[in-house]
Amino acid sequence: MSNTDTRLARGPVVEEEIHLTLTELCQASSASEEHIITWVFEGVLEPIGEAPQKWRFSGQSLRRARLALSLSRDLEVNPPGVALALDLLDEIAALQARLQRLGAHRQEK
Amino acid sequence: MKFKDYYEICGVPRNASQEDIKRAYRKLARKYHPDVSKVADAEVRFKELGEAYAVLKDPEKRAAYDQMGSQWKDGQDFQPPPGWDAGFEFGGRGDGVDHSDFFEALFGRQARGGQRPGMHVRGEDHHAKMLIDLQDAYRGARRSITLRVPELDEQGHVAMRERKLDVNIPKGIRAGQHLRLTGQGTQGLGEGPAGDLYLEIGFNPHAQFRVDGRDVYLDLPLAPWEAALGCSLAIPTPEGGSVQLTVPAGFAAGRQLRLKGKGIPGNPPGDLYAVLVIALPPAVSESEKEAYRTMAKAFTFDARADMKGDPS
Repeated sequence: MSNTDTRLARGPVVEEEIHLTLTELCQASSASEEHIITWVFEGVLEPIGEAPQKWRFSGQSLRRARLALSLSRDLEVNPPGVALALDLLDEIAALQARLQRLGAHRQEK
Repeated sequence: MKFKDYYEICGVPRNASQEDIKRAYRKLARKYHPDVSKVADAEVRFKELGEAYAVLKDPEKRAAYDQMGSQWKDGQDFQPPPGWDAGFEFGGRGDGVDHSDFFEALFGRQARGGQRPGMHVRGEDHHAKMLIDLQDAYRGARRSITLRVPELDEQGHVAMRERKLDVNIPKGIRAGQHLRLTGQGTQGLGEGPAGDLYLEIGFNPHAQFRVDGRDVYLDLPLAPWEAALGCSLAIPTPEGGSVQLTVPAGFAAGRQLRLKGKGIPGNPPGDLYAVLVIALPPAVSESEKEAYRTMAKAFTFDARADMKGDPS
């Protein structure tokens, strides 16, 4: 069964145009408030604002929160492990971008 | 429908203990987790593994699954026998994961609780990935995506439905960024609003251009004399046109010419880099060979100058 929504869906670019509240980040990432708060204290997420009710998360936090959730849920990684894994994944991504820039994909073929 | 051998997927014998299954799952989950794995079909493998583990870790589901018998092979055509699940009660709510038809047929029907009247709950937010062309990021575009969405039927059972959505791709979007489409997630319950849809953008691989954030790279092959003497030429841009480029004399392989602001548009826009590659012309004809000989005489050039020095 299939139907077509002919309206054009428009929306903001999360990483550029949005800040998320704690509730919004929970909804968008499917992580619980407890999860998010733990990751903030672990340094995985760095919101601005002092108390959880006042926190504003950058758009980049969405990707990190989803990654953190999938690592802790699927692999049962604990919060310090999540923080370490995310740092390492960032480092791998930076190295891969560098390889890509140098055109290393060609030499591998 | 194809039978799924969940024991084979987890790599454990049918009499494995719960502890063995957990250990096997964790090991394979690390191997195939799409966020950390380098295996090509990691996403598919991981989904299959998650489904297998969801059944085998749950003693009720495992017992019901075992009741099907051990004569089935993975991938074999299969229909569950009528009343196979009599006497089993599968608790727990659906997790919104898109399981195989096989899983849905066995365990799917109990997935969601019925809707209670008077309950208003916001629908869940959804995530999907969408691949676009690099050109779309330069110009903006309208692209459609087909989503598989779980939907509740009248009996409160979950069925997967296909839904096509036209999406406005804003100019300047980059790989890894997300678009938030308000109200395009799961329908709410009662008068609760629908959730949002988050689309993660990626670029289709391009034969010529490589992308890093806002910057775009292009290999620019030059003949040795073009690199040595300098030249002026037109190079293609991801936007679709071409741009005139002056290569200064004496340019060496690996060096980059930057075309400021010709990367992905934005504030600030990225840059387009032409990475110089020297293409060596083959010497086939006698006159071509003669030209190389003339070069050899004209130059005092040592290609291996860097290899000299103290060999110890």
